[in-house]
This record gives sequence, structure tokens and C-alpha cells, in this order.
Amino acid sequence: MTTDDMLLEVRGLKKHFPIRTGLMRRVTGMVKAVDGINFHIRKGETLGLVGESGCGKSTAGRAILRLHEPTAGEVIFNDPVLGKIDVTQADRETMMKLRPNMQIIFQDPFTSLNPRLTVGQIVGEPLEIQHRARGTELSDRVAELLKEVGIRPENMTRYPHAFSGGQRQRIGIARALALNPSLIICDEPVSALDVSIQAQVLNLLDELQAKYGMAYLFIGHDLSVIEHISDRVAVMYVGYIVEMAKTDKLYFSPKHPYTEALLNAIPKADPRLRTRPVRLQGDVPSPANPPSGCYFHPRCRYAKDICSVERPPLTDIGDEHFVACHFARELSLTGVQALSDITLEMPKPRSL
Amino acid sequence: MTTQATSINLTSHDDVVRVEDLKVNFYTQLGVVNALNGVSFNIPRGRVLGIVGESGCGKSITGLSIMQLVVAAGRTEAGRIMFREFAGQEPPINILEYGKNSPEMRKIRGNNISMIFQEPMSSLNPCYTVGNQIEEAILLHQTDDKSEASKRAVEVLTKVGMPNPDRIAASFPHELSGGMRQRAMIAMALSCNPTLLIADEPTTALDVTTEAQILDLMRGLQSEIGTSIMFITHNMGVVAQMCDEVAVMYMGRVVERATVDDIFYEPRHPYTISLLQSIPRLGRSKGRLSSIEGSVPDPYSTTPGCSFHPRCPVAIKGLCDTIVPEETIVDAAKGHTVRCHLNS
Repeated sequence: MTTDDMLLEVRGLKKHFPIRTGLMRRVTGMVKAVDGINFHIRKGETLGLVGESGCGKSTAGRAILRLHEPTAGEVIFNDPVLGKIDVTQADRETMMKLRPNMQIIFQDPFTSLNPRLTVGQIVGEPLEIQHRARGTELSDRVAELLKEVGIRPENMTRYPHAFSGGQRQRIGIARALALNPSLIICDEPVSALDVSIQAQVLNLLDELQAKYGMAYLFIGHDLSVIEHISDRVAVMYVGYIVEMAKTDKLYFSPKHPYTEALLNAIPKADPRLRTRPVRLQGDVPSPANPPSGCYFHPRCRYAKDICSVERPPLTDIGDEHFVACHFARELSLTGVQALSDITLEMPKPRSL
Repeated sequence: MTTQATSINLTSHDDVVRVEDLKVNFYTQLGVVNALNGVSFNIPRGRVLGIVGESGCGKSITGLSIMQLVVAAGRTEAGRIMFREFAGQEPPINILEYGKNSPEMRKIRGNNISMIFQEPMSSLNPCYTVGNQIEEAILLHQTDDKSEASKRAVEVLTKVGMPNPDRIAASFPHELSGGMRQRAMIAMALSCNPTLLIADEPTTALDVTTEAQILDLMRGLQSEIGTSIMFITHNMGVVAQMCDEVAVMYMGRVVERATVDDIFYEPRHPYTISLLQSIPRLGRSKGRLSSIEGSVPDPYSTTPGCSFHPRCPVAIKGLCDTIVPEETIVDAAKGHTVRCHLNS
């Protein structure tokens, strides 16, 4: 594997949150939100990070940017100027230089924009902080960015409340785009949006990537959205990556029982395909008190004795297909069956 | 279960609920919001009707109107909601004739018609055990015997697949996971064997694996008890898996009403078509998604003509922007109707 085109390498990343109880606020336990994950992102590619709520996918994204200080592990970022740098060890000054190249888009477009700043100020702020532009140059650049994401530049002087959810998410994208980053972490950017708006924002993200060639770490829980946008997908379960592969591989021939269960749980948008596959029983275990061995074994229908004792490491079974399961090579699991292609045509417009 | 689309007569006398030309306005400090602009649809007995639409289209308000739970700012301006508790009941009851707090309405609410809400945590009372909350409905409507009520509460918890119903009945909502809470909500709604169950986005707050469990449960219970369900959702996948019939709503109107098969395979309204085209489809979702231009209009403004015309790719100038299309029958046998000038 060549490392030149490698943009981000995450090795053994951990983020544990202490649980404090009692009057003395003593640490009585640890929530292992992210518990040793490994993955890499190449330049210009999209890695989808998918999992159920509480699996640590957002925490992982934030720990990479050091919005949460990681507990352990390395995050090697290939900066276009500084070269390969371990983000977790970088000092303040280095971080300042790294940040323009790694940006984030948040889930909730209603709370991630400062209501007291105008849209122009919000999008221009990164440019000011990094001393990239000022005065008319700044406002020209902001106007350009807004145009890029489909917001009319005249709206620069308005405040976030005047915009709809989809438009606000576009503003958030413009802000992330301002410094021409090589990596954008998209933390569930379309989860809060209606389907028709969701499609607009996904298309926008696709177009921007084609134009500027940045890489995305796309965090989400909607498997159809993740499939649409990602080149490769990593599946997380209780703070651990259980499977990672090229999108088609992962969806059509999953190798981890959890991935299989997740794929089979999606309600299929076709009334002629009403199947009732075997459902996953029970709930996701708490990351403060996970089960022994493989975290998935209490819910896994293929579990054997070894699964409750030993935690399987994430291993490459060939062609960049990583699986953390003792029986990855033996199990034959069912993936997604492609839905029949329903072609819908708009009624023809007629004249009066 | 009645998943096969059997022919439905448009003038069927066996509708559990028939909503006729319902208009609800909200009077706020910023102006009047026309939440419902004449909503009409029927829920055939023993079937699952899906109400689909984007946020703000009025789907929740429709559900709340049937329960008479719309907040004080909302006023019902016109329309009727005809309810038949049992098949062939003549004449049907117009729910809207009862006052919100009248004894008649209280007798219907939670007993004949019950509702499940989206957020199970905020719809359960944190101060009472799950068992107490289920018993409350049973004591109010079914029996005065407290020990009988608690026995029934445990029974209904067993029915919704709770692993340890006695322990769950004694638990407080915060002790349960999201999926468990939603099961408790369903148990509560089903405790009095309602004729109609209104489910307002019951799985939106849940993860896919939990969602699948809850949908399976609801389908199982529906075929077992035969309750009619009005299923409000924005997820087309859930619609395809759960519903027998679908009403698509946009800006406070039902724009298309058909069997679930017709909605997915032969949709007629440009909005339904755009909605289906904009969802990423599993297993074949590369390339550009077709999206609907613009966004749902500001609720305080009123759109003349067809409310979808500003976003419609095939709108006819001079017609769609001036005249509101009437509901037209596409296929009478299957009960397929659409509100669009292109189909009239």
C-alpha cells in the first residue's frame, strides 16, 4: 500500500470519559466511547462511518480534530505544507496551522451557527482568524463561497434565523469550505433535514468534492445515505470498528454478523419486498459496562464459546476488507439485495 | 394480515374514520398559519393507512385533530371527522361535535382511539412507573378493580414482547432504553383495545435495529388484534413495509391517496414522484440524486393555486399557479385519487 496518497491515518484511537459519582466526584468508571479504532483515509476519498446511536462515531470524529482530547492513540495527518504530523501531539501553534486543512460540518444546523453573527461574519470568520483575507477581499471571497453552496450573496447581511434548515446546512458547508481544507469531517450533516432537502445537500457535497478534491469522513446512521456518498465504509459497534471495506463489498457481501443485521434492519422502500428477516434482539450494550470478549456476542446468532472470551482484532481478509470477527472467513452472510429499479416518469407538461 | 391490495370502494361504509374537508388554522402573534387546508381521507377498518409528508405539511396536526388534542392556538375552521366504532354503525359520530373536554370525548380518547408519539421519553410521565401509567388508562375506561388493572397491564406488556413484564411494570421510564419505552407506549395505547391507533412517527427517534423490532411488533399486533392504524411518518421505507394504503400530504392538503403498491409503482402527483426519486435507494444509489428544487414555503405565506407549483418541474403556467386542483379519481376500484391539474 503506498502511503503517499494517505491523508489521515488513525491508529489505536481511544477516548474514554470518566464517570464521576458521589460528593467527592470520584471517578468510579469509564465510558469507553471510542476504544481503539484504526482506519485511514486517502486524499479525495469519502470514508463513511456508520453505527447506531451511542456507538462512538461522533466522538471519534471529534477526537480526530481534538475537539475531544483523545485518551490514547495516534492521528497522523498528512498536511500539504507540514507533512505528516501526529495531531494528538501537536502543540497549539502547530494546531493553528493544521486546523485550516481539517474542518467539520455539524449535524444540527440550528445550533451550529452563532445566532448573533450575520451569515457573512460566520463564513468569513475562519478567513479572518487565519489572516487569509480582509476588507473587500474578504467579502468577495465570502460572496464566492456562498454562491458555491447555492446561497445568494445578497443574503450575507442576514442572520441564521432567516434561513431554513437546508440553507443553514449550506452555510455550515460554506464555512467549512472557506479555508480550502483537504479533510472535512461531516458529522451527520443531513440527519436533521427532510428527504427532498437531504438530496440537495448530498448532491452539493458530491459536487464540491469533485471540484476541490477534499476527503470526507462522513459520519451517519442512515445506511442508504452512507452507501450513496461513500467510497469505503466503516461500521462501528460500542466504540470499536467491526468491519471496514469498499462500499459495494460491505453492502453486498458483509463479513461481520452485526453488519448483516444492520443491513437487514433497513426498511426497504419497496412494498413488493416485504420480508421479515431474523431480527437482532436486545439493545446496544452500554459502553460503560460492555460485555466480555466480542462486544457483539450476546446478540450474535453465530456466537460460539470463544466469542465471549476473546475480543477479535480487526484483520484484513484481503482487498482492504477488514473484519473483527473470529469466524469472518467461515460465515456466509447475506447482504443487501438490490431493489428493483422503479423508473418513475413525471407526467408530461401540457399547454393550456 | 391484509397486505394484498384488495379493491376498496370509494363510498365504503366501513371506514373507521372519515375526515372530510378539515381546515385548521393557527392564530399566532406573527400571523395566521393555515395548517390544514381541507384535508379529506378515510381509514378503512382493519387496515394501515400511512400519512407521509415533509415536516410542516400538517400530518401530525391531522392526527392530533382526530384525538382533539390540538393546542389552544389551533382552531378547527371547518370539516367533519366521522368515526365508526364498529362496522356499519349508523349514523357515525362526528368527533368534532364534542367539546375537547366533554365526557364523550374523554370516553373516546385513549379508549376507542389512542395515540403513540414520536419521543417516548417525553411522552411518558417520569414520576410514575410504567405499570401505573398503563393501569391509569385501564382504570379510566375498562374496570374499577385495581388488581385486575395491574394484571391486565402486565398482560399487555407481555403482548408487546417485553422480556420481563413484571419487572418492567415496576420500572420508571428512565430505567428503560428507547426501544423499551416505545414498547411501553404501544402497550399503553393498546391496553384498552382501541378501534383506531394513531402512530405519530413512532420509530423516528430509534436506531434501525430497534426500529425494525418495533415495526415487526406493530405489524404482528395489527394482524393479531385487527386494529386500524393511522401511521404518520416521513420515511418512505417504513411506509413501504408497514402500510396498506398511503395518503401523501403537502402544505396541509392530501395531494395523492392510493394503495401502497400504486404509490411506489404508479404515482401520479409530481410531488410523490419527486419524493420517491430523492431517496437514496439501497443497493443502487450511485450518481446524482434527483432533488426537489427549493424548500417547503414559509407557513405564514399562502401560495395561490396548487401549493406545490413553485417547486413543480411540470407546472402549467396560468393554471397551476392560480387554480387549486380538485381531487380527481385515477382508479376508482383501487381508491387512487390525486390533486393535480395534469391528471384531471
